[in-house]
Amino acid sequence: MRVINILSGKGGTGKTMVSSSLLWTMSRKKRVVGIDCDVDAANLGMVLGVKITRRKEIETSEKAFLIEEKCTGCFKCVDVCNFSAIEKGDKKPVFNRFLCEGCGSCELVCPENAIEIKTVKNAWITEGASRYGFPVVSGQLKMGESGSGKIVTEVRRTGERVAKENKSEIMIIDSAAGISCPVIASVRNTDYVIAVSEPTPSGFNDLKRAIKLVEFFKIPCGLIINKFDINKELTRKIENFAKEKGISVLGRIPYHKDFVDAAVNLKPVVVYKKKYREIFENIAEKIYSWFE
Amino acid sequence: MRIAVTGGKGGTGKSIVSTALAFELSKKQKTLLMDLDVECPNDHLILSIKREKVKDIFQKIPKFDFSKCVKCGTCSKVCKENAIVFIEGQYPRFIPEQCTGCNACCIACPTKAISQTEKKIGEIYYGKGYGMDLVSGEMVIGYEEAGPVVNAVKEYVKKTEKGYKHIIIDTSAGTHCGVISALMGCELALCVTEPTPFGKHDLELILDLLNVLGIPAKIIINRSDIGDKKLIERISKKYKTEIIGEIPYKKSILDAYSKGVPVKEKEIENILRVLK
Repeated sequence: MRVINILSGKGGTGKTMVSSSLLWTMSRKKRVVGIDCDVDAANLGMVLGVKITRRKEIETSEKAFLIEEKCTGCFKCVDVCNFSAIEKGDKKPVFNRFLCEGCGSCELVCPENAIEIKTVKNAWITEGASRYGFPVVSGQLKMGESGSGKIVTEVRRTGERVAKENKSEIMIIDSAAGISCPVIASVRNTDYVIAVSEPTPSGFNDLKRAIKLVEFFKIPCGLIINKFDINKELTRKIENFAKEKGISVLGRIPYHKDFVDAAVNLKPVVVYKKKYREIFENIAEKIYSWFE
Repeated sequence: MRIAVTGGKGGTGKSIVSTALAFELSKKQKTLLMDLDVECPNDHLILSIKREKVKDIFQKIPKFDFSKCVKCGTCSKVCKENAIVFIEGQYPRFIPEQCTGCNACCIACPTKAISQTEKKIGEIYYGKGYGMDLVSGEMVIGYEEAGPVVNAVKEYVKKTEKGYKHIIIDTSAGTHCGVISALMGCELALCVTEPTPFGKHDLELILDLLNVLGIPAKIIINRSDIGDKKLIERISKKYKTEIIGEIPYKKSILDAYSKGVPVKEKEIENILRVLK
């Protein structure tokens, strides 16, 4: 199986639109599986009309809890916490669960054994079939919880199993915006990265940062320029940048209201309007030939 | 007032709204724009403000003194990030990229063979333009945690406090640690969304988060004339959260954005009027 990751750095450049359209296009010739690793705000399942068949709560996060009756208020824990998650209270330390990383330093330093590190249920993983038949696995972080990177790793582990069960040939991973832990966990150990950019100063700047990340992991990479016609000069600059980096331009997508309408109707744009199929068929062909 | 601009979904226009609001506010009062989208900071590009680096951000990492190490493997056992690999009979191997600097290994080591050193995780930039101050944080590429970088920028601003009347905080997309750290301490959060099912879905997530954090929220609909506005109006009712502004899709906004000048539209002034 080949694993393709879709990323962009900047949010809203069209990662989910590309993921869903590419999945649909490739599913006509190959056995595919879609993985939504944007666990902060998972949208891929929505656009593919996934009927969830399995739902599992996972615990990949840990937090520190104070055992009040054992605490003598020495505040050693406050000094040792490098995440500013413990503050001096009136008599006892106050733990901020949003900042706590569950590292256990406070537990180690507490002379009274008054701190306990407990695992926390921090996410849901769902499995199901899209309305187009192929399987989709998604993760969703619970509100205010942490550990996105570890959730992504767990989502991918589930994805691997589902892929095996379905004898999938291609896995497409939709990443979150940005370049921090959830994205790093999505990019790691993939065969090919597709960067989705747009010709705006922010889109270009964030593309450069995303590409640096891909180079860091030494993964081959292709580029799709979305809304290429809103600033053709910048599109040319982005294409020159890609050339310098040895990144092939897989496709250009125009700006059109159809894309918003497709989103409102919760459909991949290639299903919503047939005229966009050719763009994605060409992109798919380029990727197949790269794999060969 | 300390106002965060957030929204859940990426690309809804958080940075455009942040920069435009800071631009309007700075006409009358001392205003700071904090770009806390440390993974991909762009506010300086949107405003064409030249930034200068004022500080490097460091995180503590362990330093091993193998002459004191007895190869017990305790450091590896306490490390929750799998940043220390231990194989029986060998010295522990440290993977700096995985380390979040919690210091547990140093505390746990029975022979005091681990001390602390530092690695660079980000940079802080400062710039001035249109009468406002801009501080932005930038995470080192390949580093995992946005939260500590965000906190370091907040700490820097606190220490160099220049008597700002308003602080506008631009957050990243999503609801992860970098966003939570940026939101904490804000008195109000403006959630910029778009009238699509994705915008709606991610808006609910961020409103839930703000509720948990106890931060009051208001909604701004960007590109309000394309898509289905009712989706957002329903959420506004469900969460009893007011929609204080609608910004239509306009070529003039896109042009300003791609030219690197602040967006000056009457809709932004209207938002400020409502806020007052």
